[in-house]
Amino acid sequence: MPQSICHKLGRCPSHSLDSPMANPRLLDKRRKSIRNIRKITRTMELIATARFKKAMDRASAATAYTNRMTKLVQDLLASGLDVHHPLLEKREKVENVTLLVLTANRGLCGGFNGNLQRAGFHRWMELKQSIPNCKLEIVGKRGIAAFKFRGITPDATYSHFEDKPSFDEVDVIASRYLDEYITGKLDRLDVVYTKFQSIARQQVTIETLLPLGAIGADAAAATGKAAIEESKAPSGRNAIYEFLPSPDSILEEVVPASFKIKLFKCFLDSAVSEQIARMVAMKSATENAGDLIHTLSRQYNRARQGRITSELMDVIGGVEALS
Amino acid sequence: MSTATTQNVGRITQVIGSTFDVEYAEDQLPAIYNAVKIVSDHKGVKINLTGEVQQHLGGGRVRCVALGSTDGLIRGQDCVDTGEPVKVPVGKATLGRVFNITGDTVDGRGPVDAEEYWPIHRDPPKLADLSTKTELFETGIKVIDLLTPFVRGGKAGLFGGAGLGKTVILTELIARIASAHGGYSVFAGVGERTREGTDLWHEMQDAKIGDTGRSVIDQTCMVFGQMNEPPGSRLRVALSALTMAEYFRDKTGADTLLFVDNIFRFSQAGSEVSALLGRMPSAVGYQPTLASEMGALQERIASTNKGAITSVQAVYVPADDPTDPAPATAFGQLDAFVYLERSISEKGIYPAVDPLASNSRILDPQYVGERHFKCARRVQTILQRYRELQDIIAILGVDELAEEDKLVVQRARRIERFLSQPFLVAEVFTGKPGEITPLAETIRSFEEICDGKWDHLPESAFLYVGVIEQAEAQWKKQQQKQ
Repeated sequence: MPQSICHKLGRCPSHSLDSPMANPRLLDKRRKSIRNIRKITRTMELIATARFKKAMDRASAATAYTNRMTKLVQDLLASGLDVHHPLLEKREKVENVTLLVLTANRGLCGGFNGNLQRAGFHRWMELKQSIPNCKLEIVGKRGIAAFKFRGITPDATYSHFEDKPSFDEVDVIASRYLDEYITGKLDRLDVVYTKFQSIARQQVTIETLLPLGAIGADAAAATGKAAIEESKAPSGRNAIYEFLPSPDSILEEVVPASFKIKLFKCFLDSAVSEQIARMVAMKSATENAGDLIHTLSRQYNRARQGRITSELMDVIGGVEALS
Repeated sequence: MSTATTQNVGRITQVIGSTFDVEYAEDQLPAIYNAVKIVSDHKGVKINLTGEVQQHLGGGRVRCVALGSTDGLIRGQDCVDTGEPVKVPVGKATLGRVFNITGDTVDGRGPVDAEEYWPIHRDPPKLADLSTKTELFETGIKVIDLLTPFVRGGKAGLFGGAGLGKTVILTELIARIASAHGGYSVFAGVGERTREGTDLWHEMQDAKIGDTGRSVIDQTCMVFGQMNEPPGSRLRVALSALTMAEYFRDKTGADTLLFVDNIFRFSQAGSEVSALLGRMPSAVGYQPTLASEMGALQERIASTNKGAITSVQAVYVPADDPTDPAPATAFGQLDAFVYLERSISEKGIYPAVDPLASNSRILDPQYVGERHFKCARRVQTILQRYRELQDIIAILGVDELAEEDKLVVQRARRIERFLSQPFLVAEVFTGKPGEITPLAETIRSFEEICDGKWDHLPESAFLYVGVIEQAEAQWKKQQQKQ
C-alpha cells in the first residue's frame, strides 16, 4: 500500500490538477514543459504563415491558367464541332479505377490529414464494393501510415511532395495516368484532396479527373448560373474560334495538357490548405498552451503558498506549545 | 455499569473544554483508561457524565477526557472512580439495537439485557492467532471487484473528499453484503451526520436477509457517536463498536462485518483533545500520537483462527489532499483501498472511484488468478495512457494523436464510463434498479472492451449498466427513442 501513496504524490497530469496541495515542484516541471511546447507551436505558426503566403501565390498564379484552360476545353466541346477524344469520352463499363489521396507529409495541422483519411477511406470502401479492379495511390506520409494502420496496403505511394510541388514531379504521375487511360488499363481516376476556396474555407473534395468530360460538366455545374449563361453564349461565339490546322490536332494537344494542369492544381490546393490548417491549428495550440500555463501557474502559486503557510503554522504551533 | 464496592471519590478541580481534572487521594489514583462517573443534580442541572482517565498529573490529580458533554460541570463536584475501563454490552442481546459510546441504548426501546460486558480497551489478537487465509470478497460492484478486490476477513478503506459518495458506497456495501451475509454485522457511526445514521437504521429494518424473512437489523448492532457528540465520544465510539464485533468473532466464531463511517473523525477527535491534554501539536496541527492511536485501533480489527472480521471503513480526505497525515496513516493499515476522485464525480460517473489511485493487496495473480489480474492491468494501462495524453489533447487536439493513441483514447473513454454502475440504494434517486454484476461477467465485459469488440457503441451507452450486453441494449433503446 505505501507505494500507492508515493504513486499519488508522484502522480503527474490530471491528478495534480485537482488537489490543491499538489507538489509545487511537479507543477513547475509540467509548466516548463508546456512552455516549451508553446514555443514550438508558436514558431510552427510563424513558419506556416510564411509558407502559406508562398504557396498561396503559386496557387493563385496557377488558378487563372487552369480556369482559362478548362474554359477552352469547354468551349471546344460546346463549339458544335464533331470532336472526339478518348480522354473526353465516358466509358460504358468502368472496370479499372484508381483512387488518389493527397495528404500531407507532416502532422501538427489539426484535422487536415484526419479529414482526408476519413473521406478517402469511405470512398475506397465504396469503390471496392462496386468496381472489380481498384487501385489505391497515396501521396503523403500521414496518409500512408493511416491506411496501413487500417490494414490497407496502397498500390503506390509518394512522399516526395513537399509544400512546393513542382509541375515536373506531377507531370510524371499525370503522364502515367494518361498512358494507362488510353491503353484501357484505367477507366476512371478519382482524386481526394482539400480544395482551397478561400483563406477561411477549405473543403475535402472528391473529384473525378478522368475521363475529362466528367469534370467539364462538373465545373459548369459548380460555377452556377454565370457558367450556364456562358455556356449558352458560345453558340453565338462559335465563330470566334478558327481551328488551324484542324480541331483534332488542337484537341490532341490541349486535352492532355488540361488534365495535367487539373491534377497539378489539386496538388497546389492541397499544399495551400495544409499550410492554412497548420497555421490555424498551431494558433489555437499556442492559445491552449497559454491557458494551461495560466491555470498551472495559479495552482503552483497556491501550492507554494499553502506549503509555506502550513510550515509556518507548524513552527508557530511548536513554539507556542514549548513556551 | 458496575461500581466498586468501596467507592473511590475524587473532586473536580478544573474543567477545560471537553477535558477535566479530578483530585483523588494520592494513594487511590484511578488507573489510566479507567472510567470515572459524575452523577449530580446541582441546582436542577442533571449531569450523568462518564470520563476516561488519560493522564496522571501528579499531586493526586488526574486528567480525564469527557465522553459526554461537560455543560453544567462545576469545580468541586464528586467524581467516582469505577475501577475499570468503560464497558459495553456484548453478545446476541445487542443485535438489533442502537447504542452510544458507553453502551447505553439510544433507540428508545429500553435498556439492553446483556449477559456480558466487555471493556472497550483490549489487546489486539496475538501474532500467532492471526488468520493467514487470503480470499477474495465479491461485492458485485464492477470497479471494486475488478480493480480493488476486497479481502474476506480483511480491511478495506473508502477514501474521498467531501461529497464524493463515501457514505453512499458504504450503505451500498451494507445493502449488498449484509443482506447476503450469514454472520453478524456491526456498524460504527463516528462523527458523521446523525440523520444518515437514522436513515441507515430504518433501511436496515426494511431490508431482508436473503429469503429468510428476517430484517438485516436483526443480525446487526449499531453504535453511534455522531457529529453532535463531544470529541471524547467520537474518539472512543469506534472502540465500543469494535469490542462488540470482537465478541462475535471470539465467542461465536461467526464471520463478522464491521462498517466504520468515518475513521477520519476518530483522528480528528484525537487532535481536538490532544492539545487540551497538553501535547505538542505535530504536522498540520495533528496530535503527535496520530499514528499510534490509529495503529492501536486498526490492529484490533483483525481476523483470527477463531473467526473473521471483515471491515469497510470510510475515510474522509480533508481538502482532497491524500497526503494529509490523517488519511495517510490510515492508508498503510488497509488491504484494499478505494480512492474517490473529484474530477470523476464531476463527470457524473458514480461510484467516482479513481481506477489508477485505488489499489488492493490481493490484485495479484497469486490470489485473484492470472485472467483477472491481466484484465485489471490492461484496463489500468489504457486509462494511464489516456491520462498521459490528456495534456497533448488539451493543447493540440485529438486529431494530432497517432492512430494507436486515438484508439486508446476511444476505449479509455468507454472504460471510464463503464466503470459506473447503478446502485441498489440509489434506485429511489436515479430510477434505475441496482445492478449486481458477478465477477466473472465483469472480467469478461472489460476484456471485450479492451479487445475492441464494443468500439461501435457510442460512449453514452456505457454509462450506468451492469454487464456489457446491457450497454448494447441501452444503445438500442436510445436509438428507438430517436
